[in-house]
Amino acid sequence: MQNQDVDPLQAKQDIIAYAKRRGALVAGIADLAAIEAIAPAGHRPSDIMPRVKSVISVGVGGQTQGAWSVPAKALGYFGSTETRAYSASYALAFFIETNYGAPSVYCPPDMDNEAGPRVPLQSLKLHAELAGIGARSLAGDILLHPEFGYMYFASVFTELELPPDEPMAENPCPAPSCADMFHKTGQTPCMKFCPVQCLSGKITSDGKQEEMHYDMAACAEMTQQYEAVPAMLAGALAAETEAERTDALFDPDNKMLWYKMSVGSGGLLAQCFECMRVCPIATRSPQADPIRRRQAKQ
Amino acid sequence: MTQGLSRDQLGVTDAMIEAYAAIIFRLSNNLQIRRGDPVRLRDIAAIGAHRHELGMSDAQIAARIGLRPAQVTFIRNLEERRRFRTGYYHQLNKLGGSKRFRVERMTPLQDHFRYSEDALSLRSAFAFEAETVRSYVEQGYWKNDTLRSWLNRNADTNPGGLAITGAGGDVSYSELRDRVEKLAGGFYHAGIRPGDVVAVQLPNTRDYIESFLALCWLGAVLTTLYMTFRDNEFKNQLTHSRAKAVIVPDTIGDFAAAETALRMRTDIATLQTIIVAGTPPAGAMDLASLFETGTGLPKDLPPPNASDPFLLLYTSGTTSSPKGVPLNYHQMLSNARFGVTEHDIRPGDVVMSAAPFGHLYALYSVQMALCAGAAIDLLPMFSPPAFIEAAAKDRPTHVFAGPAHLAACLGMGLFDKADLGSIRVTVLSGSAVPPELVRSCAPYFSGGAITQLWGMTETQAGLYTRPGDDPEISATSAGRESPGTSVRIAGADGKELAASEEGELQVRGPSVFAGYYNNPEATAAAFTSDGYFRSGDLARKDGDGNVTLSGRLKEVINRGGVKYNPQEVELLIDQHPAIAQCAIAPVPDERLGERACCYAVLKPGTDLALEDLCSFLSGRGLAKHKLPERLELRTELPMTATRKVIKGQLNPAG
Repeated sequence: MQNQDVDPLQAKQDIIAYAKRRGALVAGIADLAAIEAIAPAGHRPSDIMPRVKSVISVGVGGQTQGAWSVPAKALGYFGSTETRAYSASYALAFFIETNYGAPSVYCPPDMDNEAGPRVPLQSLKLHAELAGIGARSLAGDILLHPEFGYMYFASVFTELELPPDEPMAENPCPAPSCADMFHKTGQTPCMKFCPVQCLSGKITSDGKQEEMHYDMAACAEMTQQYEAVPAMLAGALAAETEAERTDALFDPDNKMLWYKMSVGSGGLLAQCFECMRVCPIATRSPQADPIRRRQAKQ
Repeated sequence: MTQGLSRDQLGVTDAMIEAYAAIIFRLSNNLQIRRGDPVRLRDIAAIGAHRHELGMSDAQIAARIGLRPAQVTFIRNLEERRRFRTGYYHQLNKLGGSKRFRVERMTPLQDHFRYSEDALSLRSAFAFEAETVRSYVEQGYWKNDTLRSWLNRNADTNPGGLAITGAGGDVSYSELRDRVEKLAGGFYHAGIRPGDVVAVQLPNTRDYIESFLALCWLGAVLTTLYMTFRDNEFKNQLTHSRAKAVIVPDTIGDFAAAETALRMRTDIATLQTIIVAGTPPAGAMDLASLFETGTGLPKDLPPPNASDPFLLLYTSGTTSSPKGVPLNYHQMLSNARFGVTEHDIRPGDVVMSAAPFGHLYALYSVQMALCAGAAIDLLPMFSPPAFIEAAAKDRPTHVFAGPAHLAACLGMGLFDKADLGSIRVTVLSGSAVPPELVRSCAPYFSGGAITQLWGMTETQAGLYTRPGDDPEISATSAGRESPGTSVRIAGADGKELAASEEGELQVRGPSVFAGYYNNPEATAAAFTSDGYFRSGDLARKDGDGNVTLSGRLKEVINRGGVKYNPQEVELLIDQHPAIAQCAIAPVPDERLGERACCYAVLKPGTDLALEDLCSFLSGRGLAKHKLPERLELRTELPMTATRKVIKGQLNPAG
């Protein structure tokens, strides 16, 4: 039963403080009406939780400084830190129910069961952007924060009504150095270093984003192997000889896929990180990694 | 099946897929265009106006184009699967850290190098048993050595060190690597790829060494053509080896080598490229120009590894047609690596081969020089005066020669005034070494040792005496096993014989070949059931393990069931004053099966009858049943390129 004498402003402060104690660098409340207006039908918070009143978005630190310096192959294993965001938001849902009696859910960061792996059930990105803890970048709309750089996000839906935050007043992307590079070469670092050249766009003469082009299909081909599994099975079925069939199922690449699937390995890359690795906001913002955050405290 | 519905329940036809797949894919979030920053600004109108560019949900697409959402989902998934290319993440795995993506450096997987069918066929010739490989790797005989890695190591650690000396001048290791790398690029430019077989017929020159090492750098396979080869041998070996290219001088004496190779190109399907050291005729490439034409090797080209073949040598064929022997770095370089210590080759030493590089024996000396960081001393074409002059000028520390080389110098009296003081070790191999020759030469090499070495194309250096051995041991035996090699003397029943008994020399070890190229019958016949190679040589082993070669098994005469080795008789006949050269071979006999026939070349102005010869031999204690029963006088005897008599071609007149 929801506590009737909850002070929304105080509750918001306490919830954000709790989220930070659980590992979030930032947290904010998204404007539910805006989400409902922007998200397509079937992907709105109310589609999951009809009586939702607030959407809380939390951001946890992305990569460590060390992770950015290792080869992509290793980063594929070191980079999957999003579980911290999920555990923080999961705890937050319990915290709200315990302290305010308001039903809450941890929003699953999952794919739409009915539409397949390239379609998200909910856009955590949209929640975070409207909560003011990230802004869309030229790197395929990955959210960036001027203080914390690149983060992972998670959301909590709750029936507790909380005052929403404003989106960021300014978009930190492109950084001045990126705009300068774009005007000289036609590419920002993220565009230049994308392995499959899936990024392009335009920047205005005063250094603002004008257009962002993202070939997500090309990006997915590079980083996401889920289509490879049915392709492998199809290859095995179509094989004309036993040897070809065995190769199709058990060659080292395919065995690795089976392994990753069976253990849920972080080695199943979700993105290649090259655009973020070269992004000055993602990696060199004042508190972009634990070392910078430690230095900022001193 | 989509949302639990099958295709016929969804009503999706091929025509629908064909018609709508592209627009569905475009409207989906597979391709996203955002104009301005409308979400952050909560500009709902702008978002709505550009929804089709931002990426739409299946329901939105369905509403837009007039299909059901489940139909859109079905068609979108089908189209994504059709467009999806797997394997890109292999490229991704190579990125990161200090490695940044450069589109110009990215080679699509399908464009990566692949071995030709011929190259794969050659690679399949290395059918080692698993236990053999395990044993050689664990015991340290096989390491990941390649000539490229040895050259790199020498150039890195001792860039100014002498790599080549003698004819053509001095070359340092850094210069040699630079030239080899350029030539490898030139060979690639000329169409040669890893695994391709390239035949080389050159004298012992810089061209040979640089070509050989450049082929190794590239990962190609060298097959050697003896300098004495002419049309027939040329054609046979190029055809059997499936050589893709040949490197020859323009001419060898009056033999138009380059023209011959060009002519062969029309008959030999695999032969594509003729490279000429000298003046190339039209249609051939200039070896010198290849140093300049290469632009380096593609990055995706696999660098050579120790398990790669790099030599396809041919047996000399004294008793049968030449057979191809593929060899990899494991086999060759383990033999060389241990040989360096055993022959006392040190960094800075100078290693000369009087034998042509076309022979495995000479290449063995080259490989040991590279292993030790020593210099390769070039003697382009052996002649006694050239050898004596080079020994004085180049100051070799090691000479790898055949007994005929020393015999020729000795016979011309050139050792009397020669400066051989730099030579620490002289290794003799290639044919039977007369003990008296070693004893006669020893005083002239008083500063060093004369040793013997026995090997075959199939075995490499299997036996040798060591520099510290008693000189009489080196004069009379081929010594003991090379490290890792196991030899035994086997009787006709295959069982190992006791010390001093004569039988077949059988060899097993990390340097022994795996099988003949495209010749399974010969391979099967070459090995015993327990993996020993049947050398076909007759030998005895003394109590100390020193082995003395005594002839060829196939040359044994079987006279009515009494068998004997004719080499002992030939050595006695060689002492007859009228004899220039001789060989004993069997002739068929109805009663005894075989009788011995002596084929002889006489010295000018002499004559010889069978009775005189037998009297001569009887006077030296030869048993009666070993006396030749027929004498055939010839002006010359058929010889292999390695100067061995081809007894299979000896037939009595009439």
